[in-house]
Amino acid sequence: MTTFTASARLRLVGGTGGALRLGLLIVAVVLFSLLVDNFGTPRNAYALFQSFALLGLVTLGLALTMLVGEFDLSVGSMVAVGGLITLKVGGADHLLLGMLAAAAFAIVVGLFNALVFSWLRLSSLVITVGSMIALGGFAYWLADGRVINTDNFDAGSLLDDSMLGIFSLRSLLTIAAFVAAFGLLKYTRLGRNILATGSRAAAAKASGVSTTAVYVVVFVLSALCASLAGSLLSISLATASATMGNNLLLQAASAAIIGGIALSGGIGGVGGVLVGVLILTALNNGLGLLGASAASMLFANGLVLLVVVLLDGRVGQWLKKLRRPAPLKSF
Amino acid sequence: MSHSISRTSTAKDQRVAPMKTPSSSLFGRWLGPERMQATGVKVAIIILFIWGWATIDNFASSSNLHAIMYSVAAIGIAAVGMAFITLSGNLFMLSMAATAALSTIIFASFLYLGLVPALLIVALVGLIIGLVQGVVVGLGGVNPIIATIAVASIVMGAGALYSGGLTIVGKGDASWLGVGQLGVFPNQLLLFLVLAIAAEFVVQRTRFGRELRLIGLNRTTATLAGIRVGRTLVLSFVIAGLAAAIAGSLFASQAAQGNLKLAAGLDFDAIAAVLVGGVSIRGGHGKIIDAAFGALFLAIVSNILLVKGLSFEIQLMVKGIVVIVAVILGALAVGLRKS
Repeated sequence: MTTFTASARLRLVGGTGGALRLGLLIVAVVLFSLLVDNFGTPRNAYALFQSFALLGLVTLGLALTMLVGEFDLSVGSMVAVGGLITLKVGGADHLLLGMLAAAAFAIVVGLFNALVFSWLRLSSLVITVGSMIALGGFAYWLADGRVINTDNFDAGSLLDDSMLGIFSLRSLLTIAAFVAAFGLLKYTRLGRNILATGSRAAAAKASGVSTTAVYVVVFVLSALCASLAGSLLSISLATASATMGNNLLLQAASAAIIGGIALSGGIGGVGGVLVGVLILTALNNGLGLLGASAASMLFANGLVLLVVVLLDGRVGQWLKKLRRPAPLKSF
Repeated sequence: MSHSISRTSTAKDQRVAPMKTPSSSLFGRWLGPERMQATGVKVAIIILFIWGWATIDNFASSSNLHAIMYSVAAIGIAAVGMAFITLSGNLFMLSMAATAALSTIIFASFLYLGLVPALLIVALVGLIIGLVQGVVVGLGGVNPIIATIAVASIVMGAGALYSGGLTIVGKGDASWLGVGQLGVFPNQLLLFLVLAIAAEFVVQRTRFGRELRLIGLNRTTATLAGIRVGRTLVLSFVIAGLAAAIAGSLFASQAAQGNLKLAAGLDFDAIAAVLVGGVSIRGGHGKIIDAAFGALFLAIVSNILLVKGLSFEIQLMVKGIVVIVAVILGALAVGLRKS
């Protein structure tokens, strides 16, 4: 923990298990291509990147909070609220305004999470479980028991028309967000402060890092990513509902941990998250093509999360010890 | 308790027992920073009740009082279970709603065997679900929130696979638990009271309870002191899983039906009751019975909002605000204790 080398943590695939992670993705893709008829087609690659666009943005925001050793449980509800605000404010003609309104609301939520966290010094899990529930209630109030529609289908097709064969504007936007986050963490002072805070907040603070500013940035970015994901999804579907983000928190947490972000903070990189999201997306896409029901996907996603958190924790350390009999003395 | 410890203590005991003994004065026991919130909630319950009685039509009618009793029973039982998790320093168990939802389905499916066998099967399922989480969190060292979210989705997925998302109508008689009464009190309420008092006794007076509170106060110290940390945490999750299963049975017994949507919001209601009641989120401080009073307080608040004709969404938001205020006041009271 004390040997802080930013470069080691920010390799393209991130962390020590980078090669393993990339291998897992390749194995998953190859296996599904062989087992499932339509998995390897360009059409399915496009569909895969469409789900990547949604999950990727949400996971990226969540991963930033995990990098500082905290956790934003409100991302799932924020996706629903973001989508609902976009369509309610935007109507048919002002969707961009709707997106801005959703973004403004997300900034307020992120500020609230970060400032209450910095003020009360409670676990961020406690504060964001509150915002998760409050935002869930707010989403139901916004939707008023209905599904909100928009008549503007042009914006949706602008976002979803395929580009370069397998991408769309929506998935390219998500990839751009990953590139921006990579740049932020690798080349800016703020990025280094984020990793330092995650490694050891007290030490970072003692060396002059404003940890409050770091918390504000990551929680605002996390809410913004979720809200943007919700806006884009609602425009692309031309509908928004209060249940839109239901299983996203689960998937995003799994993807981030598979991507090598440690729950303890300070460890992991954007590249790893990218691979983690792709692994989870490929898994769900493949299961879907195999005809798995929503219930069995829920079951599978929960199981995946449980296994990865177990490996992230004491069980993983124990397995590592088995592999390497001489324990590391300096930690 | 403080006397017996000081009389028999050795140097070792003092090193490993950082538990603050409550001030023996009457003032400290009720109004010290540690107990301020719990006492405040009890006073607020009395004030709300008198205010409702005096100013709101139909509030004190027997049908409305029964509505309050029914609404507090299942949520109160879940809150008592949740309080074990919070006291042990593991924040919350976010799989209670899912466990209760699955329990409604299992209860309805096995009701044809009779009420008691159905309850036993549901309790067994709750026990197993709790055990899995206890092992993962207590022995595997996994973050409790993440682990219980994962288990919640496994349980919901299993429930949806089992029921096909449909309502299961129980073939049997659950009316003793569902609508039965002893005198003017519903059996559900009496069950809640018995369980809450038993849980309070276990936590205050048994070795398991003392170990649980010590782990919540300081897990490292507890481990160093040779406290059976893993075993105690596993047991606390088992109790919480059981509580969720019983809460689900209460929901299912009212109409002898099982549906995955029946227990929606139970996680939040139980968390709200624990936080409002004055159990510290940091663990260790607070009593099980505080969570039960928190549940009663929230049930009265919801009932007043309902009788006044406010919509469900407004009720949800008012509850959210009450919880946020309780968390902030609780954190400030902790600051008071330290200064």
